[in-house]
Amino acid sequence: MTTAEAARRDERVARVSPVRRVLVRPELGSVVGAIVVFAFFAAQSPVFWSVSGVSNWLDPASTLGIMAVAIALLMIGGEFDLSAGVLTGSTGLILVTLATRYGLDVWSAMAAGLVFALAVGFLNGLLVVRTRLPSFIVTLGTFLMLQGLNLGVTKLLTGTVQVGGLRQAPGYEGARQVFAASVPLAGGDFRVAIVWWLAVTALATWVLMRTRAGNWIFAVGGNEQAARAVGVPAARVKVGLFMTTAAAAWLVGTITALRFSSVQANAGIGQEFTFIIAAVIGGCLLTGGYGSAIGASIGALIFGMADKGIVFAGWDADWFTFFLGAMLLLATLTNSLVRRYAEEVRR
Amino acid sequence: MPLLRMRGITKRFPGVRALDGVDLEVEAGEVHCLLGQNGAGKSTLIKVLSGVHQPDEGEVRFGGEPVRLAGPTAAMRLGIATIYQELDLVDGLSVAENVFLGHERASYGFVRRREAARAAGELLARLGHPEIPPNRLVERLSPAGKQVVSMARALSHDARLIIMDEPSAALAHDEVANLFRLVRELTSAGVAVIYISHRLEEIREIGDRVTVLKDGRTVAVGLPAATTPTPEIVRLMTGRSVEYVFPPRRPRPAVPEAGGRDPEADGLGTEILRVEGLTVPGEFADVSFSVRAGEIVGLAGLVGSGRTEILETVYGLRRPSAGRVLLDGRPVRPGSAARAVRLGMGLAPEERKSQALLLEDSLADNITLAGLPRYSRLGWLDRRRALADAAEQIAALDVRPADARRPVKTLSGGNQQKAVLARWLINGRRLLLLDEPTRGVDVGARAELYALIRRLADAGLGVLLVSSEVPEVLGLADRVLVVREGRVIHQADARDLDEHRVLDMIMEGSLS
Repeated sequence: MTTAEAARRDERVARVSPVRRVLVRPELGSVVGAIVVFAFFAAQSPVFWSVSGVSNWLDPASTLGIMAVAIALLMIGGEFDLSAGVLTGSTGLILVTLATRYGLDVWSAMAAGLVFALAVGFLNGLLVVRTRLPSFIVTLGTFLMLQGLNLGVTKLLTGTVQVGGLRQAPGYEGARQVFAASVPLAGGDFRVAIVWWLAVTALATWVLMRTRAGNWIFAVGGNEQAARAVGVPAARVKVGLFMTTAAAAWLVGTITALRFSSVQANAGIGQEFTFIIAAVIGGCLLTGGYGSAIGASIGALIFGMADKGIVFAGWDADWFTFFLGAMLLLATLTNSLVRRYAEEVRR
Repeated sequence: MPLLRMRGITKRFPGVRALDGVDLEVEAGEVHCLLGQNGAGKSTLIKVLSGVHQPDEGEVRFGGEPVRLAGPTAAMRLGIATIYQELDLVDGLSVAENVFLGHERASYGFVRRREAARAAGELLARLGHPEIPPNRLVERLSPAGKQVVSMARALSHDARLIIMDEPSAALAHDEVANLFRLVRELTSAGVAVIYISHRLEEIREIGDRVTVLKDGRTVAVGLPAATTPTPEIVRLMTGRSVEYVFPPRRPRPAVPEAGGRDPEADGLGTEILRVEGLTVPGEFADVSFSVRAGEIVGLAGLVGSGRTEILETVYGLRRPSAGRVLLDGRPVRPGSAARAVRLGMGLAPEERKSQALLLEDSLADNITLAGLPRYSRLGWLDRRRALADAAEQIAALDVRPADARRPVKTLSGGNQQKAVLARWLINGRRLLLLDEPTRGVDVGARAELYALIRRLADAGLGVLLVSSEVPEVLGLADRVLVVREGRVIHQADARDLDEHRVLDMIMEGSLS
């Protein structure tokens, strides 16, 4: 009986070597990609790996990383969210508008933004769970609606396509210290957002690996029917994931608004796919049930390095997307090769 | 007082009465075997018991109390755990996480991983598999390993009743012994087991009592498993209330024999298919047979005996390690379905909806799918001609409603099957391979399909038929091959076989 032999080979004789254990991690592709990109740009310009250079490319990586981690959780749970990018714009617009035009202090305006974001996330989740429409379509709908809302309301209120002047609002300085300060360290200028990014990554990893909620996320993404059959509240898990993504969008929107003191009405548009790409580089499958928060963070790191590295190397920034595409292919190819190898080991 | 008592359970599906007043009583600490042919209602009964289906009528008492099994979770809370044939595990989680999924050992939302791993390890050890590491991802286990994890999950619920649906199907022989040891251990601890298997020898070894289902009804309750004679069990399973209507076989027709080297020379046509020593490791070995023009050859055997795999290998969907397939005397290149189609084979697969039909598309599109090259001119499709050909087939096979533009998903099972057949007939076939052609087809439409298949054979096609329903194979086929565990154990004219004898061979392998 071949199945019995396979079982014996797999479970009794072959102990898993540490090397193989590393190889089958979902993050592998992104780590390989990150090393390649780092080595490449470090060779192009010594500034790239100086302290100030590092602080420079960690900056874009941090805000992107927060989103990529949240999207990774959602994708492991088997869903997409295309409205997450534009929602970073919406929450920023709400914050600045309420604080500058309606006399709220910055903290209250932030709270209002959070409530709005959670409501959008809840709505996304509810629509997906109730209608069983693909989340790709549902969130494409909310994405377009938010995009229109951002522009329409901003124009209605200000007559322009941006809101600004947050710096004069009460409570600004305190909030900036928490969300958008920068810390000079050994010649570099490190943004506080990096700390938020690391914290979000650590929290997400902890949830995924160590909590009941984490099990449920893998279960609803990997085999929803089986998960339901053993009593996992699949609908609640999914709604929760959409709300988590929305909360991350609020965090990023707040960080960006406090940093620049103004927000464009089209902020965040076009970012939605970047988040997904970072998550996929980090080992998430489009089909759900597989992936890692750390991987998504490293995916964001690759973005940051390519974004600034091209500038350091003195090239035209137009080359950025070329790099991105190459990285996406390299990382996912590595992942799929390794997965196939792992499958063969099983046989 | 029995642990479980089901009374008059009735479950209707559109057009079918799957359960029609079933009674079942299971005592604590016994192994209760559920027997019945395919379609007798075993799966539906399990699904009612595990909370997947709600019965339309009837009463369920568990531990003396009337209960409502509103869903899988409700059943599990009561202590009813089910191990399904298709395993429902999450590949991306570890063994321990799968075992405790949905009832994690957690405090304040945090999983006590060490404790869960230890508890899962203990369950696995109890199952005789201490070598499966609780922290390994389930996707990296073999099918047998996954089965063990599925069992560990059932055990983890502290179930008082465990339903095992063909648990031995995925296991090797030495593992079956292990399974039995575990079942005995469970029952001596007072747990009741409902055991479903087609293998009579297993039922005799492990079972205490047997309940037999037939056509959605209970025909025997609480027979002693060890002593009830096999002919008695087979009689209960086969004694039929629904009559099958089979078309008459040709009474030795006079088709000219062109170079036929069959010594029996019974008036059938030339040899169309010849299979020699075909082997796919792990599925079936050394299978040889032939199909002649105008002949229907049936493969009888249990699910998993290798029937479907033989069919698929003949068609080129699987690559054999040894042996060859000849169509009209020419060898068919192994492992190429496209080649098989070009040479004149057509397959109506088991899973009609997922493997054969484009459900959203129209009847005409589905029928003309395999003949598209005929209708294309310089890359354009001649839709009018395709539609005309489809309409012709719809009329010939009497597909109803006879509307070529209707989406095929709105058709009944029998008419969908006709659409699959029409697809092949549209461009002239030599050999039809039919895998469970009447699955999901109601009784009236079956007779029609049988007549159609016979008509096609009479028109000179060779037909190779696979069915789990022994009466169907015996009634429709001219010649029958009995398949058991990947081997053809018997070959005979269908008229020389009877249902009891074939069932006996299929289930026990005896050739008495």
